[in-house]
Amino acid sequence: MGHAGEEQRTKTDAMRKLILTLLCLLSSAALAHDMPGMKMPRGPALGASAAFDAHRRLWVVDAADGHVRLRRSDDFGKTLSAPVDVNAVAEPIYDSGENRPKIAFGPKGELYVSWSQPRAKPWTGYVRFARSLDGGAHFSTPITVHHDRAEITHRFDALAVDGQGRVVIAWIDKRGLEAAKAKGQPYLGAAVYYSWSSDAGQSFVPERKLMDNSCECCRIALARTPDGEVAAFFRGVYGDNIRDHAFALLPTDDAPVHAERATFSGWRIAACPEQGPGLAIGADGTRHAVWYEASHGPAIWYGQLDPGQPPKHLLKLAGPGASHADVAVHGKTVWLAWNQVDANGYTLMLRVSTDGGLHFAAPRTIAHSVAAVGSPQLLTWQGRAFVAWNTADGFRLVPTEAP
Amino acid sequence: MRRLVLAALLALTLPAGAHAGTLAPLSAAEIPALLKPPAHGVRILAVWALDCAYCEANMQALAKLQRAHPREIELVTVATDSIAHGVAISARLEAMHMDSYPAHAYAEASPERLDYLLDPDWGGETPRTEVIRADGSRLGISGELTAAQLQKLL
Repeated sequence: MGHAGEEQRTKTDAMRKLILTLLCLLSSAALAHDMPGMKMPRGPALGASAAFDAHRRLWVVDAADGHVRLRRSDDFGKTLSAPVDVNAVAEPIYDSGENRPKIAFGPKGELYVSWSQPRAKPWTGYVRFARSLDGGAHFSTPITVHHDRAEITHRFDALAVDGQGRVVIAWIDKRGLEAAKAKGQPYLGAAVYYSWSSDAGQSFVPERKLMDNSCECCRIALARTPDGEVAAFFRGVYGDNIRDHAFALLPTDDAPVHAERATFSGWRIAACPEQGPGLAIGADGTRHAVWYEASHGPAIWYGQLDPGQPPKHLLKLAGPGASHADVAVHGKTVWLAWNQVDANGYTLMLRVSTDGGLHFAAPRTIAHSVAAVGSPQLLTWQGRAFVAWNTADGFRLVPTEAP
Repeated sequence: MRRLVLAALLALTLPAGAHAGTLAPLSAAEIPALLKPPAHGVRILAVWALDCAYCEANMQALAKLQRAHPREIELVTVATDSIAHGVAISARLEAMHMDSYPAHAYAEASPERLDYLLDPDWGGETPRTEVIRADGSRLGISGELTAAQLQKLL
């Protein structure tokens, strides 16, 4: 082919690309019009969650174009299957790092997925849930978890399965704030509510309030206790806008709920930190936790929670540029992972303790990304730990063993 | 093929017209210009996010201050949400009557790197107010500004 032919082909290619781009923009605009409150549909965002099932298969959920999509990997994340849509009918989906789709497994291999759906007005949402009883091939029609249907905040869902196989979901809820506003009374922050399902996710009991005055936009950490209960660790609002954290068990009987303050950094601020904590509970009951605060500049902390008292074995993990830490425990081994950013990109950092969190080895770099990254999520499988790290270049499962 | 391009272009401009052109993507390369000291007075970056319920009141307080000192204050809004949410960001700016100020939204899929480049001593909480003075000095404050803090910005 001669020079002119090549030029023609280049022109045709360029025009084809332009048309494709325009058509993409067009369909985005049309969809955004059809769904009030919907963010512009686009490729998958970085808000993803991952979990291992009992057969060491890795499952990843994220959101793209109005669908929560599920992928699986049989080779520790090296290759991922083609995605399966969890919700057949597209709907708006929150997909940021703090408010991302979640995945968990039931005792018989049931696959549970939850997410938050933006409603038309700012800061509003519904908590959504769907399940698969055939290993992710088909999903139930999504249901709204809470019985309250006001167009207010019910979002930042967190999902866990307790020792009896109950599906437990907690979320941030503003019904108390709205009621106070209607009466002209002050109310700081939002609240945390929760519900559970005793029939493998077919239905959820009417929700219960866990605590008034929670932070408005920080993820809730859930972890299972050795007794099989689900515990929550989340940012609250104490006194005059002090953004410390609370710890609570989530009873699934008539027992009263009792959230206790568990961090005492005294960070006073009227702001959205968008950085929720992490929690992992050891077989001995030790509550390993990580959290962010900026009372004296940005800082990420590790500590062992002693609700009602300051945490024990406090350790400042990192300062400026560090974000979104997570924690995992197996036996006496405790893993801490977080993102460390600088002008050149993102570094995935790790610290490991082999004595139950009393001492930690020096921080180690385990991965780097020039492209944007999501929040790291520590996963354990048979005593090994991995970090699920979603980057704009693709999903990565990063091993934590020293090279 | 040209006709198809034209048709697509036409259809694209119709619904977008009302809010077009005001929201600019902010990438790492553009941050130095935003942080460059102004010739006189102060540049105030009102940094906000779609999720942030405190940001609207904070921006409006800054706008009020700017209107009281139009020669001294250059006010710029910066959304830490990705520009992929541009439709929602522009709509929100318009709803809170903040659309007359130069507006940026992050051009990256996660905010941390741009947060760090704007101010390494900031952990990403919003609202964030960044003040850049003509003499090169800087001030960064997280959270909704109190009346006393607002007074000290100039």
